[in-house]
Amino acid sequence: MGLTSAANGGGYGGFRLCVFDLRRGHSEGQELDKILFFYPADLPFSTQLSVIGLSEGLITFTRIFSPDAACEEIEAERHSHVFYEAEPDIWMVMVVEKSKGKEAIWRLDALRKVLKEVHSLFVMFHGSLRSLLEKDPSGGSLRSQLFIFIMDYLSDFLVSKKLHLPSFRDSLKERGTIQMLTIGREAALEVQSLVRLVESCTGSTSCHSLLMFQDLMVSTTFSPDDTVGLFVYAVQRLTPRVLSTGLSSWSYVRKGSASSASFLGTTAGGGGPLTEQFYGSYDSFPDENHTYRVRPLQHEKWFKGKDGFLVNDSWQSENDNLVPTSPTIFLQKSDERMFFCVYQYKNLTLIFTVPVSSIVNGEQGLSNVKQLILENASLKFSKVEEKLTKGWGGENAYHVSGYRYLLVDGDRNNSRASPLTKVATLSKESLLALNKLRQEVDLEKSRVRWEAARYDKDLEISIRAKNNAWVIARTCRGKELYMVLENANETVLYASDAVEKFSNRYCNGAFSLD
Amino acid sequence: MSSEERDVGEPESCPDCVRVGLDSLALNGREGEKEGDDLGNGSVEDGVGGTVEGLGVNGVVAGVGGGEIEEVWDRNLVDGRREREENRGGEIEEVGDGRLGDWYKARAGGWGEIEEVGDEKLGDEHRANSEGDVEGDSSASSSGYAAEREKGSSHSGRSSASEEIDDGEAAMAAWVPGKRHLDEDEASISWRKRKKHFFILSNSGKPIYSRYGDEHKLAGFSATLQAIISFVENGGDRVKSVRAGKHQVVFLVKGPIYLVCISCTEEPYESLRVQLELIYSQMILILTKSVNRCFEKNPKFDMTPLLGGTDVVFSSLIHSFSWNPATFLHAYTCLPLAYATRQAAGAVLQDIADSGVLFAILMCKHKVVSLVGAQKASLHPDDMLLLSNFVMSSESFRTSESFSPICLPRYNPMAFLYAYVHYLDVETYLMLLTTSSDAFYHLKDCRLRVEMVLLRSNVLSEIQRSLLDGGMHVEDLPIDPVPRSMSLLSQLSYQRIATPTESQESLREAFTGTGGPAGLWHFIYRSIYLDQYVASEFSPPINTPRQQKRLYRAYQKIYASMHDKGVGPHKTQFRRDENYVLLCWVTQDFELYAAFDPLADKALAIKTCNRICQWVKDVENEIFLLGASPFSW
Repeated sequence: MGLTSAANGGGYGGFRLCVFDLRRGHSEGQELDKILFFYPADLPFSTQLSVIGLSEGLITFTRIFSPDAACEEIEAERHSHVFYEAEPDIWMVMVVEKSKGKEAIWRLDALRKVLKEVHSLFVMFHGSLRSLLEKDPSGGSLRSQLFIFIMDYLSDFLVSKKLHLPSFRDSLKERGTIQMLTIGREAALEVQSLVRLVESCTGSTSCHSLLMFQDLMVSTTFSPDDTVGLFVYAVQRLTPRVLSTGLSSWSYVRKGSASSASFLGTTAGGGGPLTEQFYGSYDSFPDENHTYRVRPLQHEKWFKGKDGFLVNDSWQSENDNLVPTSPTIFLQKSDERMFFCVYQYKNLTLIFTVPVSSIVNGEQGLSNVKQLILENASLKFSKVEEKLTKGWGGENAYHVSGYRYLLVDGDRNNSRASPLTKVATLSKESLLALNKLRQEVDLEKSRVRWEAARYDKDLEISIRAKNNAWVIARTCRGKELYMVLENANETVLYASDAVEKFSNRYCNGAFSLD
Repeated sequence: MSSEERDVGEPESCPDCVRVGLDSLALNGREGEKEGDDLGNGSVEDGVGGTVEGLGVNGVVAGVGGGEIEEVWDRNLVDGRREREENRGGEIEEVGDGRLGDWYKARAGGWGEIEEVGDEKLGDEHRANSEGDVEGDSSASSSGYAAEREKGSSHSGRSSASEEIDDGEAAMAAWVPGKRHLDEDEASISWRKRKKHFFILSNSGKPIYSRYGDEHKLAGFSATLQAIISFVENGGDRVKSVRAGKHQVVFLVKGPIYLVCISCTEEPYESLRVQLELIYSQMILILTKSVNRCFEKNPKFDMTPLLGGTDVVFSSLIHSFSWNPATFLHAYTCLPLAYATRQAAGAVLQDIADSGVLFAILMCKHKVVSLVGAQKASLHPDDMLLLSNFVMSSESFRTSESFSPICLPRYNPMAFLYAYVHYLDVETYLMLLTTSSDAFYHLKDCRLRVEMVLLRSNVLSEIQRSLLDGGMHVEDLPIDPVPRSMSLLSQLSYQRIATPTESQESLREAFTGTGGPAGLWHFIYRSIYLDQYVASEFSPPINTPRQQKRLYRAYQKIYASMHDKGVGPHKTQFRRDENYVLLCWVTQDFELYAAFDPLADKALAIKTCNRICQWVKDVENEIFLLGASPFSW
């Protein structure tokens, strides 16, 4: 069951995920010290060290030729290894097995985005790995936090005891981007005044907020990177859909798998030896010297209070372990701890943060702020909600008949795509061809990244695949458009007309030739 | 082979950075055994000398033996006798070894054996001999080796430049064959910045070949490569590639031989892998696959001496990876000739093919004039590429008639054939392949007969004319359907003399005035049934080597994209970037790759592609070798 059997029998398809620090474990006998996280944790340490040893070796080797960009990928016959340097000298490596079944076909950039996402979420709630290592040089508390956090995160990919990582079937999705709700001018003004009102209620100049309608973003005053992190988190754990069904819309693969039972629960619970192995060897069980243990990604921990504010009791006071406190997070580029508040009204979710230091009376001060918001903004919330609901086109609002598409705006970190139910109608061949094409574009993009002179690649590729589908990629001034047209005419002109029409109608002509 | 059998140890000459890697790999990093073990320093010098010699003067001939490969190895390895002959006058010299076949007696000068390069086991007498040769050669400096050496040092002088060093590109205009930058090793910054490295090593980590730098100095680096491969192998997997920034490392394991490419040229993995396959096959062409047996007998077997002097063959092959479409299309190309002319050449080749010649091939540079195979024998385009590369890169073949054992890896990787090679003029050469080791005199007679007929029927002068005229020029692409009677050759002269028709003129004016109609810059057409391709001549604006190489790479990329193993082959592809519009069309009969101005109009470009196909069909008699194809058996 769970992790133990997975590791022994390869139940998770030879999947490995590790986090290690190149600055640690240099002296003989101390090698284990470099391991910060390893999944599956019950693999023998020799095996863990060999995975990390290969990664380390190749990082060093590739730096001979490519000092600025060390190893990013290893492709072997049976496995792909994806590297991500999360923080200087702290690396995350994911190993996926290419099983004989054709489903295990990955786009490595998409897998790297998974690593990136889990790291940035971790940093948002706990701070950077390096800073935690500096606070506790034994690494014990970081290890326990990472373990719980990453295991909670991975549970989202778990479907009937199998990890379903983003595969070629997710070619028309872009992880780590925001999906926006398009709203009219009038609604936009309403939203703006609501946001101003809320922020003023906090009485802090460094209050930021993010407003969502269902799983779509309406407005934000956070920095772009923080916005992405908060949006991703909200979609995974906070939106009305998640709270009511326990399902995140992101991990749509989980639909149908009723249980959102904690991955960690089944694995760690059944795996006493695992925890022992993992922590025992480091003689510092986290709780002994670490005062609070936050599990922001644990499922079914958030619930809606009577006042409309969401509550999560996994945050505990630093002084008294038993008293829950309000959730806090770190924003990027600031070491300041922020109160993390979420208010929900029907389809609306409002996230706002206030510096802990700016609230005079701590918890009491914060509830005063909340009270103030309820008193002043309740009416506005219902008005905005009503307006947005009226204008909302439903699940298929962004479906364009005949097209299966993904539109990514790299500068604004947002994307829009055909609804998943529509993408699911595409044949496997088309999706495989698109996956391959996206890999090609990923390569071109990464080359541009390494070019000394940065310029945005203007690229247009239209491929008529073996199954007669058109698979199309366009990149232009930081925007990307991917498309699959099945049942289309065979000429290139047909395909480019289709793109042109789409571009003019839905992208303000961003990809039009004129 | 399990790694336990191999030596385990620290690479000796590995710089720190590499060693850190090895430590953490916990590798059975085997020592890159120092050449010194076998050769001693002096011999290393000799080795270099031998290479120089190979570069400058002669080509190389692999094994020598009465057709029996075992004998070759026995003689080379057990007997260990080394002979050297320097006989550039084309005079036939008898070399004293009773066991050699007659053909060996007939061996024309100019080529030495591989084994002779820098081996301590050489008698003093031989060593003196060999050094003498080196001196003689370097003073003659026909390869410009001396100059190269200077170049090398000047390179390291400016090695601090942050730019990647692209030899091929810099030197493309006047590409010099042979190995360069021998003074570099893994510690040199200039070496690390080279755009494309190729390595051959043995599975015990011994260096066999490196494109840049002296193999012997790269023992530590070689051991690192070996360690990576075997580390992954020990985990029950096989490493294919590693990507880091702009760099890609591609691995290929062929039994006891490991091949590695490290490149930042943006070529796709598939292309680099095919290049490694070709390098391996080139090695097999020289040695046959029987070389594996040496590793079976002795895992630490040092192969460098066997390949001594062949640097020039490999460097010329590697150079062709950046200009010769045959390397990725797996097809060959013909010299454009009037149908009757090619027929005449084919007829005389057929005559001699009936007399016990396995393959008779008449080529001009890398283009085929005609080729005939004995019944049921078929020649793979890759074998032709490697054979012609072998012949063209070895200077000795140019200077005299030669009879040399070669192996065609796709035909039979285990056995040697014997190639009689003779240049009929500066660019045109005849290759007669046989299985018989004592056919030299017979093939010489055949050649005389062929030469006579070719001269008498003016084939040779037609070849010269074709070389001057070139093949298809995009500017000549017929705008209006050309009358069927119009051949490429008459059209060529017609286009040159006559003023273009009005419609052509106006259409061309509409498009920047360079290249062909509708902004057409270049095309490649590959006939699937014939295994042949035709590429248009380069026209402005694709007129500098740098632009040609860039276009070549773009073709390579679109080829890889169209022929993806998992999802391909695709049917059509349109690709536009800042450099080109590329159109690719794959059908059951042909593949067309066409490059246009990046601003070209799509509809016109498509029309133009249709015209190209029609044009190729109209002149296929002249640009392809039709009928009597050895591939149709």
